[in-house]
Amino acid sequence: MFRKGLHREFPVFFTYLFFELLQFAFLYAISLHLLTVAPSLYVKFDLYGRIGSTILHFGILQELFEAPLKDNPSLRQTTRRFLWWVTAFIVALAFAMIAIQYSNSLGHRLLSSYATILAFNVAQCFLLGLMFLWHRYLGLSMASFVFGIALGMGWTASLELLILEWKDSIVIPNSRVPDFLQMGVYHCAVLIWLGFALAYRRITLPSGKLRLAEDQRLMESVAEMERVVRP
Amino acid sequence: MSGLIVYGFVALVFVVFLGVQVWLHFSRPRSLALAPSEQLVPVDLEAFENLTDPDEEQYLRTSLSQREFRRVQRTRLRAARLYVAALSRNADVLVAAGEAARLNPDPEVAVVGQELFDRALRLKFFCLFSVVRMQAAFVFPVLLSPSHQLARQYMTVSYLAANLPGKAAA
Repeated sequence: MFRKGLHREFPVFFTYLFFELLQFAFLYAISLHLLTVAPSLYVKFDLYGRIGSTILHFGILQELFEAPLKDNPSLRQTTRRFLWWVTAFIVALAFAMIAIQYSNSLGHRLLSSYATILAFNVAQCFLLGLMFLWHRYLGLSMASFVFGIALGMGWTASLELLILEWKDSIVIPNSRVPDFLQMGVYHCAVLIWLGFALAYRRITLPSGKLRLAEDQRLMESVAEMERVVRP
Repeated sequence: MSGLIVYGFVALVFVVFLGVQVWLHFSRPRSLALAPSEQLVPVDLEAFENLTDPDEEQYLRTSLSQREFRRVQRTRLRAARLYVAALSRNADVLVAAGEAARLNPDPEVAVVGQELFDRALRLKFFCLFSVVRMQAAFVFPVLLSPSHQLARQYMTVSYLAANLPGKAAA
């Protein structure tokens, strides 16, 4: 990513990778007993790690939505506003869905971390779907790396949804199967990102600014335009 | 267990959706047409402007009863929506043309292509917001009016597109 300058084009995604790497290194060091921390600190670290990942996921989604509009600040701003409203609506909807599902066991699991993660994963799946539809509505072909990021994220978000629910309802206590499956899913996503990053080719766009004809001139050319519009 | 089934279904639907996107991404032929005028759907802009003209709307508002006005305005909005759909399809053609032209080795074509791409995208945004506004105006025809800026936006973009083939051929 550094060699191809992708960290400049996708700073949030790059930060996310870096964040996950650091988090993994820390947790792995603890599991190997290279670091000794109090259990409460470990739980706190895990929780903050999850919160950080979730925030960064939404940041990446914003980056993906804005990717085709990076040369157009006004449209980017409009897209950002639109995305904030849609995200707020979808997250609220996802929380409502989870709350309805867990309302029977109120007090037991309603505010559990799994339920919250599930709600955010549902919201992310919807937003990723919307992102693909957004590109299609605008008639844009997705840049290969943007497509790769979205594909990897979609794959992880959708299968994590299933795995987390499976973990929550599994009969055998302390089963490691869902954990291994989750790891496998994440590794697949990393392979997808790597593949699309390797295949990425930068497109050089014109740097010059076109001096646009004045509106008056455009209006004078209506007759010419009409020939194009109404052949 | 019901949660597992629900989320399993959501996950399966989304994975299938991703599979379709992969198939579309790798199979969709990229349009490199530099003559969008041949692909554009003819749109009677004069008629469209007439349908969204605020003066025309004001005239109808003063000369018809409220009930009559609501009925007429809804009919006008229905027709205007068809025009917006056609403009939106044309904007797709212009976005594709701009996207292809901005990669042209000739810097002049590339600059016009970039401008066309930006303006066609803006037109597409305008189409989306116009549809939303028209839907709202359809529900409350007395309170809300449709946007009348779209035709002008479209003229600017199609002018740029009309100039593109000449520049590309030069």
